[in-house]
Amino acid sequence: MPLILAVDDSPSMRKMVSFTLTGAGYQVVEAVDGVDAYEKAQAQSFDLVLTDQNMPRLDGLGLTRKLREHPQFKTVPILMLTTESSDLMKQAGRSAGATGWLVKPFDPGRLLEVIKKVIK
Amino acid sequence: MGAMAKVDDFTSSSPAREYLTFRLDQEEYGIDILKVQEIRGYEPPTRIANAPSFIKGVVNLRGTIVPIVDMRLKFNCSKSDYDSFTVVIILNLRNRIAGIVVDSVSDVMELPPDSLKAAPEVDSVIENDAVLGLGSLGDRMLILLDIEKLMSGVDMGLASEAE
Amino acid sequence: MAEVHQEGGGSGADFDLSQFYQIFFEEAGENLDLMERMLLNLNLETADDEELNGVFRCAHSVKGGAATFGFSDVAELTHQMESLLDRLRRHELKPNSAMVDVLLESADASRGLLARHQAGGEGHSPPTTDLVRRISVLVSGASAAPTAMLVPVAKLVEVAPVPVASAVVESVSEARIDGIRSLEITIGPVDRPDQADVVKELFRDIPGLGTIATLPCGSSEFRVFAVETLSSDEDLIDLFAFHVSRQQVTIKDVGRSAGRGDSDLAPKMNSDARSDSYDDDPPPGAPLAPLPGFGFFDGAPGAPTDMLPAGAVKPATALRADVRAPAHAVQPEAATIRVAISKVDQLINLVGELVITQAMLAQNSRALDPALYQQLLTGLTDLDRNTRDLQESVMSIRMIPMSIVFSRFPRMLRDLAGKLGKKVDFVTQGEATELDKGLVEKITDPLTHLVRNSCDHGVEMPEDRLRAGKSEIGTITLSASHQGGSIVIEVRDDGRGMSREKILGKARERGLDVSDQMTDGEVWQLIFAPGFSTADVVTDVSGRGVGMDVVKRNIAALNGTVEIDSSEGYGMKVSVRLPLTLAIMDGMSVGVGDEVYILPLSSVVESFQVKSDAVSTVGQGSQLVKVRDEYMPVIELEKVFQVPRFNFEKPSDIMVVVEADGSRVALLVDELLGQQQVVVKNLESNYRKVPNISGATILGDGKVALILDTGALVRRSRH
Repeated sequence: MPLILAVDDSPSMRKMVSFTLTGAGYQVVEAVDGVDAYEKAQAQSFDLVLTDQNMPRLDGLGLTRKLREHPQFKTVPILMLTTESSDLMKQAGRSAGATGWLVKPFDPGRLLEVIKKVIK
Repeated sequence: MGAMAKVDDFTSSSPAREYLTFRLDQEEYGIDILKVQEIRGYEPPTRIANAPSFIKGVVNLRGTIVPIVDMRLKFNCSKSDYDSFTVVIILNLRNRIAGIVVDSVSDVMELPPDSLKAAPEVDSVIENDAVLGLGSLGDRMLILLDIEKLMSGVDMGLASEAE
Repeated sequence: MAEVHQEGGGSGADFDLSQFYQIFFEEAGENLDLMERMLLNLNLETADDEELNGVFRCAHSVKGGAATFGFSDVAELTHQMESLLDRLRRHELKPNSAMVDVLLESADASRGLLARHQAGGEGHSPPTTDLVRRISVLVSGASAAPTAMLVPVAKLVEVAPVPVASAVVESVSEARIDGIRSLEITIGPVDRPDQADVVKELFRDIPGLGTIATLPCGSSEFRVFAVETLSSDEDLIDLFAFHVSRQQVTIKDVGRSAGRGDSDLAPKMNSDARSDSYDDDPPPGAPLAPLPGFGFFDGAPGAPTDMLPAGAVKPATALRADVRAPAHAVQPEAATIRVAISKVDQLINLVGELVITQAMLAQNSRALDPALYQQLLTGLTDLDRNTRDLQESVMSIRMIPMSIVFSRFPRMLRDLAGKLGKKVDFVTQGEATELDKGLVEKITDPLTHLVRNSCDHGVEMPEDRLRAGKSEIGTITLSASHQGGSIVIEVRDDGRGMSREKILGKARERGLDVSDQMTDGEVWQLIFAPGFSTADVVTDVSGRGVGMDVVKRNIAALNGTVEIDSSEGYGMKVSVRLPLTLAIMDGMSVGVGDEVYILPLSSVVESFQVKSDAVSTVGQGSQLVKVRDEYMPVIELEKVFQVPRFNFEKPSDIMVVVEADGSRVALLVDELLGQQQVVVKNLESNYRKVPNISGATILGDGKVALILDTGALVRRSRH
């Protein structure tokens, strides 16, 4: 069963994402910010990282950069939750090494759709 | 009439209910079995100063402090002894748990609604409000009480004025 | 429960998001509270990145959740707040108090909107258009002239019809003074053309937006429209973003140009300060994002290959400088978990049961021969210690610091003082003092009234203060501390204090029996009489009829007391004393007749056997006892509780001196029975409040004993 790391400082969002993903048969580990997520990533390997951008301590971009620096996480797909209208964000995400993005607000159906594309 | 209307409401809307029957002096009373939490023997409660005489005090019911009301005193019965047969019915009412001391407890009876009659208005210790009606089964006559109303009446002294 | 949200449904028809509403409401509430606290603490001159970022994130978080769960009114308002905060955190604007004010008010409005949703969404949504307008003004305030501002749809609706409405938004009018614009708007590529057609509905639904007509177009993936409108490109794109993504919109100005040079506005708005503002920014109130709502980077690790052209592309290396560096060490998330209060109470009950059982074991084992049962007795001693530790730990769960109570006052005072035209400094002391959660909720209202009183009636107008030789700015101090077995909370002000004459006069007016010989303390106590007020005008600020009498009653209901100290011209101090209602306390059991009563050990000073010559009787049968150099009143518990006496041989001759409420009394009892930990049980849950009794406990033998309210006994002896 694929294991997903869901990172968001908002408990309601985390719950929603967790619920949606586990309902579809994925396993989910939640993290509350970039630092928490990075620590958790050290402890086990994930098939996908789904991260919000604006978070305390370490934001989405920062987390992505940190993960990519680590040989173990060079290839794990990382999806950022952001908006496509911000070219700036897309550029930053690409530079940091993210795999792609998902627009907020998204609905659970969309989330699953995107994840299916990325998780083999 | 008040009581009459009540019995009508009662019969029209409710199915047969089960009543726990108990005895005070010569009278038999029935109360909704759903309000009865348990039945215990009598143990001397801790007295509370300045309380009405029929409030004997409070006891410890598995960690909860519960007031005990002697119904025989409240209903001005001829005698109220405390012996090994004295029974306390622990009631679980909406706002509180309380115990009532009665002479004895009989059985649980199921009364079909149409067997209920209105209680005649007599000058009684019990406020008419709390009397649901008279039920009969065979040659037994039961006075059915709305025990919730009875216990929350101001005259019972269980509630502070604010309630 | 929250109402069902249509707008949140989107294509997630299979998913019921309402189960997350409650979490969101709580989370949003916390964020709004935090935002308010931070705003109040913000130093306008030296606000730093951390602070501004923190406030921004609060608004951002609420907005994100509101948009996701379909509360579009909240999403829109918080989106506006976020736009202002974003500019602030980027130092594009300097914070000023007008901004803080509007943000505070907007936070309040957001709370109101959320509360409405939480309650089921009945009734009218409070209007937020004015707030939104004010924020827009501030957001545009320091911006360079030509840059268009973010205009929310609501405002679009409000002002679109007339170019120069009332004194509305100065800078936005820039976009419209120029008159009607003719535009050619291309939308696409879209998967389904009807997605593009939906923008026509906007023109139909929003009065004054303009007109739209479909133009022929070669491709089925695109739609082209001719639009006549007064609105700017940014406004339109914002509007369209409800239905299509921004990248899909191209606007060409084909008619009379506004001369603003942005008619070839490409969807990439890199130069637009606004789009730089947000990292993730769903348009306010947007239904869940339309297709496509996602994308992948070419050649990025893990990107699906079927979407990419062949060949990996190296990701751009340079990171743009204005992407904010992450890792601001703000608000480290404290390791906490949420627990329902009922669970905590259950835990406390269970620990209470444990204490009773342990006490029973201890009592029953006293008769055992230590030599034979050494291990058992040692074990019981350990059990005693463990139980005590456990009990302390558990009790501390329910104790929360006074800062929780204090937190509402800065904001309240700021608003109140502003409204009254007074200048007030608010000081708190002892925020870390803890009290039981149950008390916190009940103490808040009386304290609020006292603080408002100080501000309204105590602190004078700045001019008056200056004239009196005081500083213009008054000070209201709120402090909390533990004293003995009580918590003492004081509200002090350096205002005008109370006038003894006025109070005596008012009392006489109302027919109260007063005399000039009354001590100051007694005079101050008069203001607790119902309906008493020395205000010359009852302002709406303090409320009609709600007076000190209610405060006193509320405090008394908590078994507490209120004392007043005042000095005319200098100020006033109100002290509220509350017993610390620990569910487990150390008690001393005493015998009165055949009954057992418990005294809180913390109030016991000493006990002794009394000799009859030490007791003297004064008027009306009261007795005094001399203890060393002090005389104190005697209270015969037997009389107070009408304890039936069966043994007339031995008169009571043991006195226990207790101190409470600042005074001492001697209680006359028959026997000292011992000391033990007692679990305090509530009498009132099933019975009612009994005078002079603060609760009940269960002794080792399973019987109930009543716990004496030493404060009440002391007060009883005073008159």
